[in-house]
Amino acid sequence: MTAIAHKVKITYCAECGYEPQTLDLAQALMLEFGARLSCIELIPWEGGTFDVSFDGDLLHSMKRDGGFPKPATIKDAVRARLSA
Amino acid sequence: MTIDRARFDQGLTYEAYKDQMTRNRDRLEENERRVDLSKEDLAAFRALPRAVKVMVLAEDWCGDVIANLPVLGRLARDSGKLDVRIFLRDQNDDLMQRYLNKGQFKSIPVFVFLDDGFHELGHWIERPASVTEVRAKRRKDIFAAHPEFGSPDAPVDQLAEDVRVRLQAELAKMRDETAKFANAEVVRELREIATRVAA
Repeated sequence: MTAIAHKVKITYCAECGYEPQTLDLAQALMLEFGARLSCIELIPWEGGTFDVSFDGDLLHSMKRDGGFPKPATIKDAVRARLSA
Repeated sequence: MTIDRARFDQGLTYEAYKDQMTRNRDRLEENERRVDLSKEDLAAFRALPRAVKVMVLAEDWCGDVIANLPVLGRLARDSGKLDVRIFLRDQNDDLMQRYLNKGQFKSIPVFVFLDDGFHELGHWIERPASVTEVRAKRRKDIFAAHPEFGSPDAPVDQLAEDVRVRLQAELAKMRDETAKFANAEVVRELREIATRVAA
């Protein structure tokens, strides 16, 4: 069996004070998936960004979807992809 | 009435606001030093028949606050005609709800100009539209000149880390190069509002 590395990236606007939402989501993913995720990368950015991707698939984009995602929604999406 | 005297007096002065900042004070003060006020603009503010009150909503993590609040701070200090009181956005949601950007967004800074009777003369939110426009064009130009940055609309996490760092540096350079224009636009718009005060 070959182990596959799965990575979540959270890109957040560091000029907008989105750190709390970023940390809440990162914590939720850490507690839920532990070592099933090879990496949770936090990317400080700008321009009102809050994007979450899993292995390159955009799960949530503040510009595309509006607002912050619910951690439960992101967890469901990650779980589905890990099980696929 | 947006605010009464008792509430206004609870706001922080510009210096008190700086003292309570937990981050970005160095950037704010650097911007303050770089604001270049023309004699004509200063004269217009100094010629106001009486001091104008300015209620501000701000937070120290916000880039637009760090860029634009120092312009107001310098105008207040150099003209002696603006009485500025600052309220932290996240602790004063009742005030914030009255000045939502496009009726939806809690954009800051918000500057509300008030006369002696605390009647609003006008308000200003976030940054001038002209600055947003110029920077959007410059941003487009950066992406056009650097194909390695990909599409301006693509999620930035798709870029390799070293490319992302270069893009960030290009965007910072662009903001720096447009800062003088941006400050002048802020002064122009604030002057237009402040001079509405009746003689």
